[in-house]
Amino acid sequence: MTALTTSQTRISVGIGQLATADDPGIILVAYGLGSCVGVTVWHPRTRWGALLHILLPDSNGAPFRTDEPARYADHAFEELLRRFGTRGEPRELVLKLAGGAMVLGRNHSQRFKIGERNAEAIYRQLDRFGLRPAATDLGGTAGRTLELHIGTGKSYVRTATAPAREF
Amino acid sequence: MSVPMTQRLTEIANDGAFRAGRGLSGLIGEEILIRIPEVRLGTRLDVCAAVGGDDALVLGAYLGVSGDVSGHVMLLFPEARALECVDLMCGQPPGTTTEADDFAQSAIAELGNIVGSAFVNALADATNLSLHPSPPVVVRDLAMALVESVYAEVMAQDGPVVIIDTVFEDTRGETAGLLILAPDPPALARLEELAA
Repeated sequence: MTALTTSQTRISVGIGQLATADDPGIILVAYGLGSCVGVTVWHPRTRWGALLHILLPDSNGAPFRTDEPARYADHAFEELLRRFGTRGEPRELVLKLAGGAMVLGRNHSQRFKIGERNAEAIYRQLDRFGLRPAATDLGGTAGRTLELHIGTGKSYVRTATAPAREF
Repeated sequence: MSVPMTQRLTEIANDGAFRAGRGLSGLIGEEILIRIPEVRLGTRLDVCAAVGGDDALVLGAYLGVSGDVSGHVMLLFPEARALECVDLMCGQPPGTTTEADDFAQSAIAELGNIVGSAFVNALADATNLSLHPSPPVVVRDLAMALVESVYAEVMAQDGPVVIIDTVFEDTRGETAGLLILAPDPPALARLEELAA
């Protein structure tokens, strides 16, 4: 990661959580994305950002859960845009996706394909709201940690063995 | 979760530990004892905290379970503890193995196979269910990524996981790991029935 100054605070965004921030001292982090997909969201004009930690592809009609707003991809994007509110147009948002890996080995992961299905579901949500990703780091077999630095709007991804890189 | 349920799981875990210890001792030709200090039901956060936090690197083995019901078994160690286990399996002083090379990973796969299968078989016998563990897959990753991926299967229905603290002991010393048993909700319901 970039040098951590005393004024920066990391906020962990757990499974199924959605966090937003506009304080430049905040870094939003999704630790250890396996089959989950993390989405960083940045609105350059208002310097507002969000991080979504999406667990599952589709709510299939299950009720929205305020304790886990990003549990399902469809609910996560609905909630994101609700919180973005009147700051601007959704198409002004810069979105980056990371995760959706097969960390339990290819054979098992092929059986469940949760990571792949999560990524597909997120693309459907992007289409639904007229959004497109600025960058992606999806699939593979390694877990990832994803960060959004609210001070700069930059996103970083790293794995257990590879150092952080901006993407 | 009811007290009889936890008691039942503790009995099953101890039976599994006994079988696993016997299997390991047979393989290594030296007495290895497996102790189970605690069995508890927990959440993903409990699991990550137990192996060193969100960002901890762990080494271990994963087995899928199929049959009458499905589930997941993971044996996880903070990497340093896993390497101690390799030394224990090889009859070497702790600290001899310093990296997770191919040899160490294959030792961990074998350990996961013996220990994971022993617990699955103990569970199958206790519940009278037909359960088949898959071959082990070595996992070396961020703890959270592994736990989360199992949760994406199990937690889709909000089930708890069974966390079994596991201590491996021989004459030279001991090292601790964590065995995670994540039954899919129908399997848990069956256990509840049997414990009632």
